[in-house]
This record gives sequence, C-alpha cells and structure tokens, in this order.
Amino acid sequence: MIEFQHVFKSYGRGRNILADVNFSTEAGEFLFISGPSGAGKSTLLKLVAGLEPASRGAITVNHHRINRLNARTLPYLRRTVGLILQHTHLLFDRRVIDNVLLPLAVLGLDARTAITRARAAMDKVGLRGKEDYWPIELSGGEQQRLAIARAIVGRPAILIADEPTANLDAASALRIMDVFRDFNQVGVTTLIASHDAPLMARYARRTLHVEAGRFTDLPGVPT
Amino acid sequence: MRRWLRHHRYALQVALRRLRGHGLSSLANILVIALMLVVPLLGAAALQSAQPLMRQLAVNPELTLFLTPGLDTAAQQALQARIRTEADEQVAQVRLIPAAQAMDELRADPAWAQAFDALPANPLPDTLVVTLKDTDAPTRIADTLMQAWQHWPGVDRIQLDSDWVRRLESLLALLRTGLTLLAGAVLIVVLATVFNTVRLQALTQREEIAVARLVGATEPFVRRPFLYVGALTGLAASLLAWLLAGLALIPLNRMLERFTHTYDLEWVLHLPPPADLLSAGALTVLLGAVAARLSVTRHTRF
Repeated sequence: MIEFQHVFKSYGRGRNILADVNFSTEAGEFLFISGPSGAGKSTLLKLVAGLEPASRGAITVNHHRINRLNARTLPYLRRTVGLILQHTHLLFDRRVIDNVLLPLAVLGLDARTAITRARAAMDKVGLRGKEDYWPIELSGGEQQRLAIARAIVGRPAILIADEPTANLDAASALRIMDVFRDFNQVGVTTLIASHDAPLMARYARRTLHVEAGRFTDLPGVPT
Repeated sequence: MRRWLRHHRYALQVALRRLRGHGLSSLANILVIALMLVVPLLGAAALQSAQPLMRQLAVNPELTLFLTPGLDTAAQQALQARIRTEADEQVAQVRLIPAAQAMDELRADPAWAQAFDALPANPLPDTLVVTLKDTDAPTRIADTLMQAWQHWPGVDRIQLDSDWVRRLESLLALLRTGLTLLAGAVLIVVLATVFNTVRLQALTQREEIAVARLVGATEPFVRRPFLYVGALTGLAASLLAWLLAGLALIPLNRMLERFTHTYDLEWVLHLPPPADLLSAGALTVLLGAVAARLSVTRHTRF
C-alpha cells in the first residue's frame, strides 16, 4: 500500500529532515508515526500525500511511484488519500456541509449522491445536525472532526492525520481516535502522526518512531 | 460527459458566488468595462448610420465646366455632344447655362442685383453643368472625368460642386480608423481589468485553492471558476454597454433630428445590427476568459 525505499528529504542544501527511510505498510494497516516535535513526522506524511517531493529514494503509494507522477496525474492519487493536517484548512466562508462537499465536487458526483455521502460522513464523525453551521461556530474538536469528515467523504484508501488530537481535551481526543479506528476497521489504511505517548499506548498499534531524521519500526500489539 | 458538465456547473456556481461576494467591486469592474464599450458602440452607430446619409447626399454630384470666353455656340454644343459620347455611362445629364441666363438668375437675387449693376459687362462665363449618375464611388469618378476634361479645348476651368462629399468621406474614413484604434484600446482595458480582478480574487481565494488541491483538484478544476468570472464579467459588461448605448442614443437622436432638420436631411443613429452586437459581445466574453486564464495561471502558482 505504502512503501518507502531509501527516502531522503532535505530543503535546499540544508540538513536531511529524513535520512534513508525504509518501511512498508499493508492495506488496512493502522500505523502511528511518533517522535518529538520537528523530528520529521509531518514531512513524512506530506511525502505520502505527494505534497512534497522526496529529495532521493522511491515512494510507492497505491502501486504508484509518486516521484514519477506529474502535476496532471498527482491529483488523481491525492483523491485516494484522505488528509488531515495540523491546521484544519477549513473554508470559513462556506457552511459546514459545503466544506464536506468540496472533495465530492472535485470527483464530479451528482448533487443527490454528494449530499447523501456528505451527510453520512458528518454522521460518522458526530456532526449530524450541524450542516448549516459556519465552521467558526464549531468548537476546536468539532472543527477537527469536520476536517476528518472532509477527508473521508471521498472514501479514500488511505487516511493520513497529522497530530489530529494536539489541541483537544482528552475526551475529544479519544472520540476522534475512535473515529479513525472505525475507519481502519473497514479497511482504510491509517497513518497518524502523534507525540501523545499515552494515546498511542492506549491503541497499541505498530509505530514508526522518528528521531533526528531516522526511523525505528516498533511493532504494535495485535488487536 | 456528465462529470464534465457537473464540473462546469460547479465552476459557474462558484464564479457567481465570488462575483456576488465582491458585489461592489464586481459591479465597478463591469461598469468600467461597459462604459469603455459604449464609446466604440456609439462610434459604430454613427458610422453605420452615416452610410445611407452619404448615399443620400452624394446622389447627384455635379461638375461645372467653365467654358473659354468667346466660345461660339457650335463649339459649346460640340463639347456637350462629346461629353455625351465619351462619358455616357457616368453622366446623367448635361446642361448648358449661357452667361446671360446665369446673370439673369443672379440678378433675381436682390443682394446681387446692385453689385451687377455696377459692372460694365457680364463677367460670367458660359457653363456646362454635368450631373453624374449615382454610383458607389462618385468622387473617384468625378476626379477621373475632371482629369480628362480639363485639357479639352474650350474648357477653361472645372469645379467639382460635390467636393465637400469627398471631405465627408475622408472624415468618415478618419473616424473609422479612430474607431478601430479605440476598439483596440477597449480590448486592452477589458484584458487589464479582468486580469486584475482575477489576480485579486486568486489572492483572496488562496486557502480555497490550497484546500481544493489537497483533496485532489486538478489545475483545470482550480482555474475554471476564474475563467467563468472573466467570461461573466465580459458578458455583463456587454449587456450593460448595449443598454447604456441604447439609452444614450435617445437624447442624441433628439438633438440630431433638430440639427439635420435644418438641412432637410433624415439622419437617425441606431445601434449596429444584432449580428454585429453579438459578435462584439462574444469577443468581450472571450477576452474576459482569456484574461482570466492568463491571470489565474500566473497568480495561483503556490
């Protein structure tokens, strides 16, 4: 599903953010990317989503070599990857439902199907009844869930989340993690970058620990 | 095909929302472009409406041949016959006005009568007044005939009585050139206005563009709403320009009617034919889209 082979990433002639990263995941796997702030977790996720090019090495996602894709074909790969970044990137001038509908507009779905799927996605993340709200009217946790709804509405094969619980209280964090777990259980490969050790321990999944640009693969406890 | 249509419908909705969202500035842009379009529209109206007037005025251009003093009647008639023979296709009528008849006609005017009384003899020459047939290029034909006839024996001097028609034709040609240049300037204004509008919109929509790319939007998907903004701006400006030009013609025609009435002429300004208006509108819409395409390509590289 995702394979990194001798991947290096640096900006300009600066130091390597990632150095010789090698790992692979199977379809439907749940994976944590752990490590301290600035270790390169976000960079790794951006490489998977094709938001940044690798400096060296090969990245394969859904059987596509990302570095061989061009500006025309890369968007089609992105449609198979649901992305939740640290900053939610919500559109505050559009209502909640319109934020969720955006990926479906990109896919060109008909209005009826799009609305049905958007409502289902909002239902899944517990935002039912808030379709006509403005994002600013939602709490931090709800905004994060809205970002998740937007990421899953296109039914991606891979879900990537960068510190999705960083700014949330414990209860909200658990609720969001449960949402990811539910998606993973229906076969969605899930990568979550986090430095919340207790949370990762609670879910006890395979973890790639990154420190100073190098990765250690820590197997999780089978569930 | 359905997906393609849905993408276009979505782009149109987004474009309309953006235009509505920046209501006042969108309106100002449309107004600026419309006002710029009104000027060449009125110019085209004046030119096209002047064509029938030109034909009406130039219907009978006349050449007056002043004959050499002392030319006898036989020679005058021979000259008259020669014109008939050699330029029958161009000439409608040839009239001989003897000097005495011309003098009598002038004396009938009290303003001239006293002046002629003071003269010892009739100073007027015998003249042949040649009326040309109505053609598409009366001044050119008159010029050719003048060139040929002025060397004929018995002809002292020739005067083209419709010389002012030539001046009017030149003036219209000048107007036509001016109008073409003005149309070029308007096209540049349309391009610049839409280019700048889309640039500002691209800057304010950065987040939306970034999010669309995050969820897999292709570049044509990102660009399309901006193209619609450009095209819709062009369309709205064209429609407004037609309306404004139509309204402007009402007082203009009223004033023109008063003016032309004194010359016993009929001249009413009217908008160019619908086909021309539609072509101009389509060109403005196309230019709007082209300007938007240039701008969005340049300003969404982030």
